Amino acid sequence: MSALKSAEDYKTGEILNSAKAAPIRVLFSTIGGGATLLFIIVALLSKGEFQKGMAYSWLFAIVYFLTLSVGCIFWTLLHHASNSGWGVLVRRLMETVGSVVPALFVLALPIVMIPGIRDALWEWFPETHRVNEEWAVQKEDVVRKKFEEMKSGIDAGQLALDARKKEWSAGLEKAQPGEKVRIEAEMAAAEASQERLKEADPSKAPVQNEVEDEAEAEHFKHASPVLASKRGYLNPGFWYFRYFMFGIALSGIIYLLRSWSLRSDSDAANAGKWFRLMRKWSCGFLPLFAVSWTFLMFDWLMALDYTWFSTMWGVYLFAGAALNSMAFLIILLVGLQRSGHLLKVVNAEHYHIMGKLMHVFVIFWAYIAYSQFVLIWYANMTEETKFYLLRNSDGWNLYAKVFLVAGHFFLPFVFLLIRAMKKNMTWIAAAALWNLAMHFFDLYYVVIPERGPSLSGGESLLVPYAWITDVLAFLAVGGIFCYFVLRNLGQGSLYPCRDPRLDESLNLTN
Amino acid sequence: MSDTKTSPIPFAFVAEFENATELYHAAEHVRDEGFKRWDVHTPYPVHGMDHAMGLGKSWLSALVLAGGTTGFLTALFLQFFTQGSLYPTIVQGKPANLSTIPAFFPVLFELTILFSAFSVLFGLLIVIMLPRWNHPLFNSELFKKFSDDGFILVIESRNRKFDVEGTRAFLEKIGAKRIEAVEEDPV
Repeated sequence: MSALKSAEDYKTGEILNSAKAAPIRVLFSTIGGGATLLFIIVALLSKGEFQKGMAYSWLFAIVYFLTLSVGCIFWTLLHHASNSGWGVLVRRLMETVGSVVPALFVLALPIVMIPGIRDALWEWFPETHRVNEEWAVQKEDVVRKKFEEMKSGIDAGQLALDARKKEWSAGLEKAQPGEKVRIEAEMAAAEASQERLKEADPSKAPVQNEVEDEAEAEHFKHASPVLASKRGYLNPGFWYFRYFMFGIALSGIIYLLRSWSLRSDSDAANAGKWFRLMRKWSCGFLPLFAVSWTFLMFDWLMALDYTWFSTMWGVYLFAGAALNSMAFLIILLVGLQRSGHLLKVVNAEHYHIMGKLMHVFVIFWAYIAYSQFVLIWYANMTEETKFYLLRNSDGWNLYAKVFLVAGHFFLPFVFLLIRAMKKNMTWIAAAALWNLAMHFFDLYYVVIPERGPSLSGGESLLVPYAWITDVLAFLAVGGIFCYFVLRNLGQGSLYPCRDPRLDESLNLTN
Repeated sequence: MSDTKTSPIPFAFVAEFENATELYHAAEHVRDEGFKRWDVHTPYPVHGMDHAMGLGKSWLSALVLAGGTTGFLTALFLQFFTQGSLYPTIVQGKPANLSTIPAFFPVLFELTILFSAFSVLFGLLIVIMLPRWNHPLFNSELFKKFSDDGFILVIESRNRKFDVEGTRAFLEKIGAKRIEAVEEDPV
């Protein structure tokens, strides 16, 4: 038996070699900054569909890197909640990649905040605006008409009541005692119903508001029936509230876990306390994470076509996020080891487990993507098939077969079945790179097909040359993302060196 | 059992070791000595023991791959032959050709899993030579300790390198605490 490694020997941790990391950081910041600048210049100079289409490019790039980051938040949470020991040595990398989430939410601000860009992406914004404008014009007339109707109703009721009262009082004089009671009761009932009618007098303020709201809802339902039924969720106020809440929730989760973890490195006396704290909170954070991610993806991607819906949307994007964040972690780890870090602590066993998790999520992604497709395809209902109809048109059909069915599932599935491939640093990195490339095509297929039809009003599938800005946005956000990953990586030890389960991770076998 | 004790060649030697570490090192020695039919038995899994014993990769996974592939191809043939050419059933105007494959995936998946599971189960039974009524090792008192607190190493006499005196001496040399010779049941 090779001698067991003792955590005592590794408790000082390991720091990122800044001399080696600095030039790479400069490279990434140059790529990110340069591409962003170029992107902004192109956006300012271009016009029409091409310019509006750039909003889709930026959204696509943001979502791509957000999936990597958010996936790492998931792995961190899962690691704590399940009290895993194997991944202590790579947990700091998960925390680091996850901690880039706030930067991505800030990068998303322009597409969320600037109305011109926002309206190009999410049609329900201009649609709501259009209906509201119409209503502003019609409002006075419609409401006045309603008031008049109500008033004349009250007046007519009063007249009728007065006339009947006369009849009754004439009848009362001649009536038998038994009949008298009946007539009096009838009179009281008629008077009460007139009183009720008067309560809805439109000259009273609360009644006016109620009538206005009712008329407005009726107008909305008439002007935009589909959006009217989703208005409780898809309205600008709530939408912005959700954007900020999800940003705060996701950033807050990883900020807390990462800062506790970093603090534990230097607090040897209380190491156990920090890890119990992280485990306890992770269990609570998991549902918050799931809700935030699911509804954020509803808001950003599913709402690209507000008439379409899929209940599997959240888990579909989660599957891609978990898979590709693991792929990114593998590449980061290989990069670190190639540059001389973590050589004494991380070995083939760790790659084997990470490879297995990646393999599992290759299958999980395919399972979810296929389930979403087959349910919609089989049921064949117009409001659901929209999504796949668009993505089966022309070139998109072949695209999906090649990149998603074969590239995203079958090839990596067969490749990762082989144990030797998961234990070999070079091959597992190649598989991870392949998966990241396929993830590019997966999200491209989710976001981009909406662009042409949305901007041209259904005239054309694609915006000419728009792929150039897609690549440019990808480089811009990717450069900034990688820069932040490297920057945050240098802020502490490369692994949590005081974790009580460090022994377990150092001597991993599987 | 007593009358077979005189038999010159026992079925196997059962040796008990002090702890998992001792057993681990003993296994390394037995591996290096070149024995083929031997095994270790411990109360709990010992990580890295497969390496110490020099066990290669099990070929069961290859069997499962073959089983799974057979299942996949069976499902593919069964569905396309019946639905595509023998008796096409048109459902909701969907085509009865390769484009219908999404509808066939559940069966493709299920048969792949089913055949894989069968090949695991029956392959494993063949590999470990089960079922059988009894095993000579159950005659050993010492062997029973493996499910309690014993770290047991068994070397069968069917080894080409086996030799009654030499192997006993070898086991003593590598640190066996107790050694017992196990006899086969009289037929």
